[in-house]
Amino acid sequence: MIDYFILIFRILIFPGFTFILALTLFCDWIERKIEARIQNRVGPLVAGPGGILQPLADFIKLLTKEDIEPTSVKRFVFKFSPLAAFAMMIFAFCFIPIDGASVLSTTGFTGDLLIILTFATIANFILFLAGWASNNPYGIIGSTRVLTQFLGYDIPLYILALSPAFLAGTLSIFGIVQSQTLPYFLLVPWAFVLFIIVMQAELEKDPFDVPHSESEVVGGLETEYTGAKLAFIHLTRDVQVVFGAALVVTLFLGGPNGPVFFGLPTFWHALWFTLKVILVVIISEYLTTIFARLRIDQVLNLNWKIMLPGAILSLLATLAVINWVIPLVM
Amino acid sequence: MVDTKTWARVKSPWVIHFNSGACNGCDIEIVALFTPKYDVERFGVKLEPSPRHADILLVSGCVTQQCSERLKRVYDQMPEPKFVVAVGACACSGGIFEGNYNVLGGADKVVPVAAYIPGCPPRPEAMIDGLVKLLNTLNPPPKGAKKQIKGASAGVTEEKPVAKE
Repeated sequence: MIDYFILIFRILIFPGFTFILALTLFCDWIERKIEARIQNRVGPLVAGPGGILQPLADFIKLLTKEDIEPTSVKRFVFKFSPLAAFAMMIFAFCFIPIDGASVLSTTGFTGDLLIILTFATIANFILFLAGWASNNPYGIIGSTRVLTQFLGYDIPLYILALSPAFLAGTLSIFGIVQSQTLPYFLLVPWAFVLFIIVMQAELEKDPFDVPHSESEVVGGLETEYTGAKLAFIHLTRDVQVVFGAALVVTLFLGGPNGPVFFGLPTFWHALWFTLKVILVVIISEYLTTIFARLRIDQVLNLNWKIMLPGAILSLLATLAVINWVIPLVM
Repeated sequence: MVDTKTWARVKSPWVIHFNSGACNGCDIEIVALFTPKYDVERFGVKLEPSPRHADILLVSGCVTQQCSERLKRVYDQMPEPKFVVAVGACACSGGIFEGNYNVLGGADKVVPVAAYIPGCPPRPEAMIDGLVKLLNTLNPPPKGAKKQIKGASAGVTEEKPVAKE
């Protein structure tokens, strides 16, 4: 009986839904603050202390606004795709070990690294469907750009995610985290740097911000969306950002393991995980703010001519490290 | 204690800007709102690209006959609850173009206006003041005596809350 209560607590409160949601809104606030500070502004200030409740206020406001459904949309997809994409991202999050174990502590299995990468891809595809179903010129242009971009960048992402898997000798996320006594970004720094750049493209953040560049395609795929649907599209984007950061932390930065550890392990695991996620979010937002936007053809050139060969070379270099460097040291 | 819904609406006003035939003076001042010196993101104001996302429509310019239909359409595309702020003398009353043959003169001839910010162009401080006064009308009136804000004099002469349909 008590097992069921613990399971429900883990899914709903910690480290499940509520914790992920709170972390997402907090990271959104951090992003807005950093962007503002780099642009010599103050950023959100009046909603809560230091504006920390600003993302929450935005979310609640969007939930309470009128929900307009234009006559020409594909109704079913238009209605359900924002929620489906959000559910997909949260489900993918459940496989990441936040406090030492994943949310459903029994779900980890060999190959769940591939599963969560696939979930992230499917969430992106559902967002594409959302833009396509809105039947708006800007929405359709934006969503075809999403498709073009993420189909290209998924290939180097999968190849780069293989580097830690090869180092650990397993495809299970828990195994990868367990084997990182030395974080992998020290062993294979080139894969780490490439992974962060590819992640930036996957999350559609600023050097690769083409799918929803305001000056060209208004809002991209979310142009027609209002009210609660828009709230969930925004939330999905924010969860994607945190999920990307969590993936970097899990694969390269040692996951929930940390240098200082005493007393309650759950607390320290969650604390180190959160701190590392925030660090990666800060790096990602810094890159977003200092770079200008590329054009769609430049993004694709970068993908197929630099990132894909770079990812393959990085994998070869990782294999060389595994075969010749590590036996030398050990 | 205000309820959560009103709190969220007051803290997160997203604006869209519509130029209905302005000389760009007011438009540049509106853009200045988002620069480091005035930075209205402090109040949660974001400049949104699509009328579907916005709460407040900033209208600048004397409304020309050709623009009036577009202004009405943009207003209709916004989700409820929505507010219109007329920025500048032209949008308030037609300004120096009042009575011209091709000009309606004033945003309130086409859409219901919640706040008027006069000036040619109005200073960004005046716009912030008008925005804050508009948002304060959303809050339920506080109990007891009405508190007068010191120094809140500039700019806004008049504000009418939108009549609810």
